[in-house]
Amino acid sequence: MKSFVYVSESSIGVWTRRMRVAAGLGMAVAAGLCGTIAPAQAAEDDKRGGIIRYGHYQEPGCLYAGWVQAGYIQRQYADNLVARTHDGRIVPWLATDWTISEDNLTYVFKIKPGVTFHDGTVLDAKAIVTNFDRWLSNDPDKVNRNGKLYVGEYIRSVSAPEPLTLKIELSRPYQPFLTVLSTYFFGILSPTALELGPQALCEKPVGSGPFYVEAWNRGQNVILKRNPNYNSAPATAKHQGPAYVDGIVWKFLKDNTVRYGSLANGESDAIYDVPAVDWAEAQKRFTLIQDITGGTPTRLQLNTARPPFDDVRVRRAFAEVSERGKAVDVAFHGSIPFNGNGALSISTPEHLKELANSYPYDPDAANRLLDEAGWTERTRDGIRTKNGKRLTVRLLYAGGSLISNDGIVVLQILQDQARAVGFDVVLKPIPQADWFAGKGRGIDDYEAQPAYWVASSAEILKISWRPDQDGVINANNASRFQPPELWKLVEQADRTFDDKVRLPLYEAAQRIIVDNAAVVGLFPLTVSIASQPKLKDVWISSPVSEPVFHDAYFEK
Amino acid sequence: MSEIIDGRPASIGSAWRSNLGRMVRRLFGAIAVFWAVASFTFCIQALLPGDRAELMLNVAAGTFTQPTAAELAKVNAKYGFDAPVAVQYLRYLAGLARGDLGESYQAHRPVLSIIIEQVPPTIELTLSALALAWIIAILLTVPTAGRSGPFSRAVASFQVAAAVSPPYWIGTILLVVFALKLRWLPVESGTGPIGLVLPALALAIPLSGFIGQIIREEFSRVLDQPFVTSARMRGMSDLGVRLFHVLRHAVLPGVTLSGWALGALFSGAAVIETVFARPGLGGLLVTATSARDVPLVTGIIVASAGMYIIANQLVDLAYPIIDPRLKAT
Repeated sequence: MKSFVYVSESSIGVWTRRMRVAAGLGMAVAAGLCGTIAPAQAAEDDKRGGIIRYGHYQEPGCLYAGWVQAGYIQRQYADNLVARTHDGRIVPWLATDWTISEDNLTYVFKIKPGVTFHDGTVLDAKAIVTNFDRWLSNDPDKVNRNGKLYVGEYIRSVSAPEPLTLKIELSRPYQPFLTVLSTYFFGILSPTALELGPQALCEKPVGSGPFYVEAWNRGQNVILKRNPNYNSAPATAKHQGPAYVDGIVWKFLKDNTVRYGSLANGESDAIYDVPAVDWAEAQKRFTLIQDITGGTPTRLQLNTARPPFDDVRVRRAFAEVSERGKAVDVAFHGSIPFNGNGALSISTPEHLKELANSYPYDPDAANRLLDEAGWTERTRDGIRTKNGKRLTVRLLYAGGSLISNDGIVVLQILQDQARAVGFDVVLKPIPQADWFAGKGRGIDDYEAQPAYWVASSAEILKISWRPDQDGVINANNASRFQPPELWKLVEQADRTFDDKVRLPLYEAAQRIIVDNAAVVGLFPLTVSIASQPKLKDVWISSPVSEPVFHDAYFEK
Repeated sequence: MSEIIDGRPASIGSAWRSNLGRMVRRLFGAIAVFWAVASFTFCIQALLPGDRAELMLNVAAGTFTQPTAAELAKVNAKYGFDAPVAVQYLRYLAGLARGDLGESYQAHRPVLSIIIEQVPPTIELTLSALALAWIIAILLTVPTAGRSGPFSRAVASFQVAAAVSPPYWIGTILLVVFALKLRWLPVESGTGPIGLVLPALALAIPLSGFIGQIIREEFSRVLDQPFVTSARMRGMSDLGVRLFHVLRHAVLPGVTLSGWALGALFSGAAVIETVFARPGLGGLLVTATSARDVPLVTGIIVASAGMYIIANQLVDLAYPIIDPRLKAT
């Protein structure tokens, strides 16, 4: 379903580091020329007008935050320094071109001239420095914890030697740096508006994007209006210049029946997340696009720090007890693919395909492994025991937005099939707020935990597999799996710029993770958007599947 | 609820001279209820498992990271979590007395202003649901009470079934039938009066079952009273007797129930507002709870309790209007 065609792709070709500068410049010129040709202008005028009524799912507590639900809106009102194509290339956005020093430590970006924020503030290198200073700040009101987690340790200084020149110096080379900067949480906001305090920032964040936030009617919608002066679309966009539509009514329709019903009855022009039960019908009646988000898929993290999963044989057995692919297919009515390699999402460029079928459904093999591991006795209800202890797997999960009802069905199928070989799987839901507060995440609280982390590429491995350091526990490594050789591979890959060397390093890392069954892959996070046939050119952006309405127009 | 405030409702207004004392007692009663609600909510929120500072950092970033001690300390200091719980509680009560409900952790905005913005749609919804419930209950009960034909029995059974049906379930069925299949009404209820129909009905149908059952029983009893017989002897039609003489007596227990019903409608609104994508306190409460925005959750509960108390006072005041005997000294 990833059928996005970028006008820009053919003109750019494959990007090497040396080619970036020239191509960025060429594209900007080409875009400028197109705008002045008369027939093109007429076609553009045909597309103008209308307001997109978009039914989204969840309402964020704040319109500017690290959470992806706020990020979706941020993608409409803010621009980033660089953009990323779906196949992982970095292309110009606010930065028209850039150079990277030989030692890969100094990045110099040329900032697009003539860009202003919605409040009239000039977007120059200094404004971007202000944003970086806040992201990396220690003040809890300013810091961007998400961003800091990725780049905080690498950035030595960010400066503006010239009004339109931004210089970033790193302390260590970090290959995914630009990829990370293309993520929504590095959207650039107006320094003037940032000074207005946290409340203003939450309710009316000011960026330079194709739409600006007009009003937030809490519990209902966010009204986004067209920015008539928009001149900073990324190279991934289908057109340069302001949006075609006059605005977006970004509605929050949490209930699946209401959201899909609103599209079916014509009360919405587009909706987010088509419910699995309506998938087949939506394919026939509407324009349906789907994007598989990168990073880690939803996978079971097996707690390697305590029995029974401290034994790799038991972990492997657990991976083989269930027809996971079939379970995913049944639970999601075929709308979501199976992601057998739990180390990386299938849409991540570094994802290693051959690991997808590492643990096919094989109850005999699972039984053999468990016998070998000493889980030979059985209770009267068929659960295996060892030295009188039951083979219990407490599977903790946070309901709500972290694992959907369909996802829970997958867990239930797994629970049922695992019972056949003697696992007693106990499904324990935890309220989302308790989960965020740290409940159930203590090392002795669980044997398995499903979770995903949205990202664009293999930079996520650092987040997932960083070992505990100086008493700081990496809460994202719920598998508690931290062999030194794994971290060495990830670190080495992260600072390697030659793909011929870098990719094999990431592949070796994935092999260690999967061969040790530290995680058991289930399904990737997907974002789907269904729109009325007359609404054209809505697309889903990389790196984390944000809907984009800048190019969308109503067919007349 | 009215019981808690001033004893049995029937004892109200025996004498006008006791009015002042009654008002004072009511006021104290209301304040006591208010204080109890506020304290209970505070305790629940403060005693829930997990670290509040960690939660706030993770919710804001949308991640499960383990914040460092320094990061946690900054948040704890900012929100006063480093003070003993007793001190936090006193600060909270002092704020409450000043009408200050604190600032939302997520929206960084005074809780009071968020709540004030969301109260009107919820009141609109609950009052229309209450009115609809009464209309349905009376329409179904007046012609059928005290009769034993198959139609009357069917209506009575329907009321029992309605009373035990959850509003969420009824709401979804109404939505599928009237909005999705028949397309008579919009799917999203928005803020207009047409959009109010389905959510109000979803709340009203179960309540109409309750009210209907209660007035049905009273209705049958009153039908046997001598004054009914005398009205009939004057040649009044059956419907006339039922509407003008019996109904007035029969609604009294229903009115008592309405005070309680407002509370139930508030809690029902939490689900219904989310289902129908309506703005309002209920939907706000759901969002605030899932993010555990403590000041906002506490504020909503305290505000709802306040409205509940006011509603019950109004119900008490309504008694003498319906039953003039209560005015007599």
